[in-house]
Amino acid sequence: MKFSIYRYNPDVDKKPYMQDYDIALGDGDQMLLDALIRIKDLDDSLSLRKSCREGVCGSDSMNINGKNGLACITKLSELQEPVVLRPMPGLPVIRDLVVDMTQFFEHYNSVKPYLVNNDPVPENERLQSPEDRAKLDGLYECILCGACTTSCPSFWWNPETFVGPAGLMQAYRFMVDSRDQALDERLENLEEPDRLYRCHNIMNCVEVCPKKLNPNAAIAKIKDLKFEQAREHKNNVKKRIEIKAV
Amino acid sequence: MVIDLLTKRYPGMRAWLMQRLTAFAMAAYSIMLLVRIIILQPAVYEEWLSFFQPIWFRIASWLFWICLSVHAWLGVRDVFKDYVPDYDIRVVLLKLLATLLWAYIAWASWLFLVR
Repeated sequence: MKFSIYRYNPDVDKKPYMQDYDIALGDGDQMLLDALIRIKDLDDSLSLRKSCREGVCGSDSMNINGKNGLACITKLSELQEPVVLRPMPGLPVIRDLVVDMTQFFEHYNSVKPYLVNNDPVPENERLQSPEDRAKLDGLYECILCGACTTSCPSFWWNPETFVGPAGLMQAYRFMVDSRDQALDERLENLEEPDRLYRCHNIMNCVEVCPKKLNPNAAIAKIKDLKFEQAREHKNNVKKRIEIKAV
Repeated sequence: MVIDLLTKRYPGMRAWLMQRLTAFAMAAYSIMLLVRIIILQPAVYEEWLSFFQPIWFRIASWLFWICLSVHAWLGVRDVFKDYVPDYDIRVVLLKLLATLLWAYIAWASWLFLVR
């Protein structure tokens, strides 16, 4: 099977180049990662990230024939030859298919992706009704592979400011968590014009998500919540004025 | 309530909402324009002139132009933000755009309200 793989070692190469490989697959080679491991056996200078090899860790996210995806759950039989592999776009390349995801995780951290609850810690767990728990479905499954964010043109053009689909979906995941108490702060945190509103519904994120999630829908729901928050804020201000008047 | 959302307290929401409100207003005007054309069927210059004669229609057309200008400003500003990474060049382009849009508004004001 033929492959054309992006190669770049900043210590040695002046600029990136594409290297061709033509390998014989083994009987058990079904996924792209199997082939990549076989290539690495032949050429151990090739760098890539991998770990769980079953679509859970999100390490081997890369650009496969022009579309972001996970090598470990991409079937070789469905790929057109030569298979063109590049690092995920929009992030600095460390080496070959390995990108620097610092900025991606900075945006992720900026939305406080953890439960904020100031109540005393209960003896057991913080309970949720089945209905409240169901609100997290389609959100918590994100594995932070970065495929969505790095295929988003709004992120390519505004990487410093736009949180990106993965970060925004996790922001929404905690906004709708019945145990969380920081909804207002979370919404305020996204008011700066470029953090949330740079999303123009291009939908690349939905197209590429290896877990079949829909960050775009989550972003739209955040906008709805922000609208509600602004309305609530006005009502609260009115109430305060009425109380003062009394 | 919507007016409150268009204040500086909500800079992100303001532009987003403004773009949608102006789009809605322009869509409403376009439908009204189409219906009016179908009903009155202006064909020659004099008929077009009387088509634009009623003051309410002139004001509506002027408001449409204002909405179009705001919508264009927000949209093109986003495009410049995406595709013109150099800040200085972007500022020059935005100033040119603003000048152009204000000139169009002045022209539309003369056309619909003064003339």
